[in-house]
Amino acid sequence: MARFLLKRLGLAIITLFLVSVLVFAVAQVLPGNIGRNVLGGFATPMAVAQLNHQLGVDRPVWTQYWSWISNFAEGNLGTSLQYRVPVWPLLQTSLLNSLKLAAVAFVLVVPLSILGGVFAALRRGRLADRVITLSGLSLTAIPEFVSAIVLILVFGLLLRVLPVEATAPPGSGFFTQVKYLLLPGAALTLVLFGYIARMARAGTIEALDSDYTRTAYLKGLPTRTVIRRHGLRNSVLPTIAVVATQIGYLVGGLVVIEKLFNYNGIGQRIYTAAQNKDFTMLQSSVLVIAIVYLAASLIADLVYSLLNPRIRYGGAA
Amino acid sequence: MDREARRRLEEYRRTGAGPFENALIDDYSAGAFNRRELIRRASLLGISTPAIGALLAVFGEPAPAFGAARAAASSSRIRVGIIPPPSGALEPSTISDLGGLQTIGIPGEFLARATQSKTLLPELATSWKTNKSATVWTFKIRPNVTFQTGQPLTSADVVATWQRLATTGSAALSAIGGYVTPDGIVAVDDLTVAFHLETPVSNFPYLVSSTTYQGIILPANYQTGTFVSKPQTTGAFELVAYTPGVSATYNRYGGWWGGTAPLAGVDVTYYTAAAAADAALLGGDVDLLGQVQLSTDRALFSNSSVKIFTARGSTHREVPIRVDENNPFKDYRVRQAVALTLNRPQIVKTLFNEYAEIGNDSPFAPIYGLARSVPQRKQNLRQAKQLLTAAGYEKGFSAKLVTEQLGEIPELAQIIQSSVKDIGIHLSLSILSVDAYYAGSQTGPPKGWGDTPWLNAEIDITDWGSRAVPNVYLTSALESKGVWNAAHYSNKKFDAAVKSFLGAATFDDQDKYAVILQKILLHDTPVIFPYFYYYLAAGTPSVSGYAADAVGQLYLSKTSLT
Repeated sequence: MARFLLKRLGLAIITLFLVSVLVFAVAQVLPGNIGRNVLGGFATPMAVAQLNHQLGVDRPVWTQYWSWISNFAEGNLGTSLQYRVPVWPLLQTSLLNSLKLAAVAFVLVVPLSILGGVFAALRRGRLADRVITLSGLSLTAIPEFVSAIVLILVFGLLLRVLPVEATAPPGSGFFTQVKYLLLPGAALTLVLFGYIARMARAGTIEALDSDYTRTAYLKGLPTRTVIRRHGLRNSVLPTIAVVATQIGYLVGGLVVIEKLFNYNGIGQRIYTAAQNKDFTMLQSSVLVIAIVYLAASLIADLVYSLLNPRIRYGGAA
Repeated sequence: MDREARRRLEEYRRTGAGPFENALIDDYSAGAFNRRELIRRASLLGISTPAIGALLAVFGEPAPAFGAARAAASSSRIRVGIIPPPSGALEPSTISDLGGLQTIGIPGEFLARATQSKTLLPELATSWKTNKSATVWTFKIRPNVTFQTGQPLTSADVVATWQRLATTGSAALSAIGGYVTPDGIVAVDDLTVAFHLETPVSNFPYLVSSTTYQGIILPANYQTGTFVSKPQTTGAFELVAYTPGVSATYNRYGGWWGGTAPLAGVDVTYYTAAAAADAALLGGDVDLLGQVQLSTDRALFSNSSVKIFTARGSTHREVPIRVDENNPFKDYRVRQAVALTLNRPQIVKTLFNEYAEIGNDSPFAPIYGLARSVPQRKQNLRQAKQLLTAAGYEKGFSAKLVTEQLGEIPELAQIIQSSVKDIGIHLSLSILSVDAYYAGSQTGPPKGWGDTPWLNAEIDITDWGSRAVPNVYLTSALESKGVWNAAHYSNKKFDAAVKSFLGAATFDDQDKYAVILQKILLHDTPVIFPYFYYYLAAGTPSVSGYAADAVGQLYLSKTSLT
């Protein structure tokens, strides 16, 4: 187990290094000029050059990379070129917000999708299966900005039962914050339900069709026990992997949802940073998301290994 | 006629008035303009309210009533939505975007404040006057004003602020560059500041008013980069918290020279999507949106529970056509033909409904009241075709229009494309992101215009903000050495007329030169000015005492919630 963990950690560090190089390279080729973006189209060329010099973006690329990554490794995420304030306080708030939204969406979508998928598998070929499968597929096909706008219109503006913004007033308690996150969480649930439910359904069908399930039936175990002990445990394995891959999206990829609900999440931070060539903010944000993603993958691997002894004991690692 | 009023006016003419003031009185006596224009021009010259009242009384007109009645102080806080958020650091001298100017403008104050009618109201200056040649402008600073740091306001603060703004790197140079240098700004005494100009400018007070939004007066010992870290302006509100891209919080400043503001504070939320901002207003999450546009916020314009605030201004789009390239546009007749294909009333109706006014291919927006005697250019396809034939292009030609993805501009590009097709010109459109449109170098004359698309395309469309006076449009976009002369236009007669216009003392003289400029531009047509549109804001019916500002300032010191 320790070897398994060490191996995963080593891979994570290599991945982070590659991500840092990649994001730095991508940031360099983005069109535009930070000085021009900050000062506007009508600023004089001299003023733009002066600001670029102050910000250090006219230094050699390698110097800029080393300066950023070495400071990052020491916990100093640098100063935002756009806002000229430290990156971490801004990023910290955005990251925390994104984690909150991801948590709400996670709590809504994971149990609902797994239950839906398992239920559909148990009713394979019947009406319930078709309804769950088709509605899940249809909802996945609807872009999130469409479902989000519909939710805002219905629940926020017509019925007025939920707030149209995702940010709760300062000092709000736990339940108020959850209330504010329900609409964006619901929009994400609509997008992800079909995908996760299909995986859960497929996993359950595979488990139910397997030899060990047949053996369990032949041993005379009741259906409920067979499903609980053998079916569910094995059917959620692929679903865990799928859910883990969605963590990165839920934390850092919700630009549209964050824009529509005016939510200060890390997705918007990255989008704004990319638009304005705010290198330090962009690079640090992406690297932080990569860390979150790798941590989620590691946790998923751990859960996977706990459920699957072959991995735990090195059999199939 | 009131004899006492006439006596007081004559006394003012002898003892207080200079040549500019006397010319103004003569023009008004001769019926050159109306009462409203008199008040506006008198405010520009810094004539005191009693003196304006005395002048109006001579002609049997009521005295001006400046300023809205203010509601009593309350514990209400207004929730304001600003879209988009400030694009950079909140540093007044480098602010150049709407989100930024609105954010710093809430706590900030200027020497003078321009109203919707372009009247200048004294703010941190109580009065101002000029010398005979309009090369020295002297401002009296308001006594008993205290910064939010506790320091008293003196002329040293005004000098330091404006010297900072007159230095390289300041975004205010787009307004005052070429007129003022740091050495030309001097303190005469503790409460008097003189601006010695490089060239005569008869409308200079506008350039140091709220229309130059970087001109917020800050303490002389202000440290660059500390605007957010501590409140240090003089306004009715102090900035107490700011999270870039997210929110800003202002509390009422108890030491405001203007008394007590009706609102206890202002809570700003920044938006990046118009749909989210609209939903917030309709859902009751904000009381006021600092800017809305018909093209992106149509849901608000058809909703009876939303109040639309409008301000006439000179915000516009320019369609510069390169005059120096070896292509058909080099011939002025081709440029005229392009301009004649546009059905301007229809364009305004389509893109802005009733919230814009048509342009006459010069920067003299209707709100300036200048060059109105020159006939409006109208759509005339027959004449356009004749001009094209005369220029040798009866079979038409192809060209590329480059522009930016901003507001209604892509729609305008399509309208132009479709309009010129009627005379055989085939325009292909290249619509870039705003960043890409302004990217690249712009070295400026005499070195050239660099390689940025917006100054080098054969024909393009560029967004221009509102200005209280047309100076910047004339000097930067149209003069031969203008740094933003996208048409690469050069005409010595035009340059000379601009110089005369800027120094003209009387309304008649200004109009005379404006007519000359207007006629030259209609003939040469280096730039098409299709329309000038209004600044629009939206709020709930509970917002009162707020007026939209053509530049976009959010002046909330007298605003209340009912």
